Amino acid sequence: MKKLIGVVIGCGAIAREHLTALAKLKNVEVAGVCDLSDVRAEATAERFAVPKWYTDYQRMVGEARPDLVHITTPPGAHYPIAKYCLGNGFNVLCEKPIAVTYDQFLELKQLALQNNRVLMENHNFRFHSSVRRISDLLESGRLGEVVDVQILLSLDIMGKDSPYLDRNVPHSASALRGGVIGDFLPHIAYLATMFAGPAVDIRTVWTKRVQGSPLPADEFRGFIKGERATAYVGFSANAQPNGFWLRVAGSRMHVEADLYTPPRLSVRRLRSGEPALANMLDGIAETRAVLRGAVGGLWRKLAGTSSYDGLGELILRTYSALETNARPPVSLEEVDEAARIVDRFTRPELRL
Amino acid sequence: MKVLVSGAGGYLGRHIVDRLLAGGHEVRAIIRPTSPVPTWNGKVEIFHADLREHDLAQAFAGINVVVHAAAATSGSEDSQFATTVVATERFLDAMAKFPVKRLVHISSLVVYDWSRARHAIDETTPLHTNFYDMGGYTIAKSWQERLVTRRAAANSWDLTVMRPGFIWGPDRALIAGMGRHFSGGYVMFGPFTRLPLTHVVNCADSIVKAVENHAAVGKIFNVVDDDDVRVWRYVREYAKGTRERGVPIPIPYFVGLGLAKLAALTSRMLFGPGGKLPSLLTPRRFEAQFKPLRFSNRTLRDVLAWRPPLSFAESVRATYTPIHVAVTSDRERIGA
Repeated sequence: MKKLIGVVIGCGAIAREHLTALAKLKNVEVAGVCDLSDVRAEATAERFAVPKWYTDYQRMVGEARPDLVHITTPPGAHYPIAKYCLGNGFNVLCEKPIAVTYDQFLELKQLALQNNRVLMENHNFRFHSSVRRISDLLESGRLGEVVDVQILLSLDIMGKDSPYLDRNVPHSASALRGGVIGDFLPHIAYLATMFAGPAVDIRTVWTKRVQGSPLPADEFRGFIKGERATAYVGFSANAQPNGFWLRVAGSRMHVEADLYTPPRLSVRRLRSGEPALANMLDGIAETRAVLRGAVGGLWRKLAGTSSYDGLGELILRTYSALETNARPPVSLEEVDEAARIVDRFTRPELRL
Repeated sequence: MKVLVSGAGGYLGRHIVDRLLAGGHEVRAIIRPTSPVPTWNGKVEIFHADLREHDLAQAFAGINVVVHAAAATSGSEDSQFATTVVATERFLDAMAKFPVKRLVHISSLVVYDWSRARHAIDETTPLHTNFYDMGGYTIAKSWQERLVTRRAAANSWDLTVMRPGFIWGPDRALIAGMGRHFSGGYVMFGPFTRLPLTHVVNCADSIVKAVENHAAVGKIFNVVDDDDVRVWRYVREYAKGTRERGVPIPIPYFVGLGLAKLAALTSRMLFGPGGKLPSLLTPRRFEAQFKPLRFSNRTLRDVLAWRPPLSFAESVRATYTPIHVAVTSDRERIGA
């Protein structure tokens, strides 16, 4: 059977995650990698046994005629590369944020619709093992109706050796609205809409706790009134330790996961009977979940499982969809909703 | 002679500049815009640039010899590759536009495949052919030397490659070959293993000797000092000099390697080739830090008649006496 062809543009750290996931797909051949740096492109090709490397992405897609172009460059280059690829009839899977502005995204969306091409942003946490389990609880009715969603991404981006603080070569994400925090907002946005529904209204708080850092803000909070529920979301560069907490409060169950340490998922369900007994049962269940999560987390680490949980599944589903002409795993409307929320997160008039 | 030094704000780079000045050379030093400039009392022409980003063209104007010492010593694998390799690519692209032909590149002993070395490492020891399971520093330094060698051949440059061992000195005496240091103890894997040490003053001296002597052209030199210093002795001096006392915990090298091999075998059985282990439990990485080998500076001595200015005892005094040159922190060094 003829293999599908993929190419990767941009050979930084995230490209390695894409290439690691691609190496596991039997029906996909990576025909080329591309980077502005010839040596980085060659090193990436050598490491992943990719036959060709390029410094000119237009030449690469012209020669390889790929079924899917993976764009893993810094955010500022997403728009022109995606525009070229979509305009020339290629499907695109782009790293987040898909574009620097919402208007740029709308232009790309229009181009994808006109040319009937796939345009996806990397929403890997949609396919994260813990998020999928929460989705299953929701779909099976065990969680009940979603009442509230809380998301807090806590990451030490101001620590020693942090590339986000490099004053000699500013980080590529520092040009985003909201500074480098803008790099993380798409994950927060699509997870919030997954459980709270499309955003009806948004308010935000941006603050800077550590003065003297080059970041315009190091704390972000957003309050979303969704169609189904409310969501309180945030990014913290100061709260420690690192974690990516997702809490979903349903009418029958509270569920909490740290997406950085899968497969830990703690569940507290509505029980009938003696409250003290219910508390004890919940405590036992929570202890088991914590232990299972701790052991499972170590096991995953030793097994070399990527910390970008969900990316492999997203890429697998994308190629399967291309092969069978099915719907892509993340629809253009879902990408649009996330991009629209990110745009509103950074609008000054919505700040409290 | 007018010498351009990249990475001149770094630990080794500053000592190279000092030694060049002492040798009566003119120096242009490339320093990152946000890095502090060492006290050279106006004797050095400073060229502010980060090799990853800024225009480097004018750095090479009027230069006779280039010493390329810029490299990252910490950070993520991706960040080290960008800072060491991609930056070198930009640096050499700029150099190719100027008539300067002489290049002295500072590589490292990590480019050798220690697991294939039999009893000693010298300039004929095979290099890594597959280094992607090694640490970020080894990957970056191996690619950097590969790139430099290719570009030198393509441009007919007069290249000298220096491969220092563990560079140590004031404020930089904690080295990987010691084993692992934790509060209250020193775990030594092979306490009687020889360390490929080069004190920063000696290392800088050997580099300047290579700059000055045309016999170094086309040669590769391993840079280690003369003294036969074992792990036990080095750790003892370190603990004494830094006053970080601790219980010495010696573990025979083959016990450590055996444990690493057992862990690697278990990992392969459980997880296949994708399994990941810490560096101490990865046999090739364990060997690259602790394998008992001999290290020779014979080529340096034979070709350049080099003798290290400082003995080990003098190096210890120069390192641990209270008055020494202030150095910048790692964070400042990478310009973060």
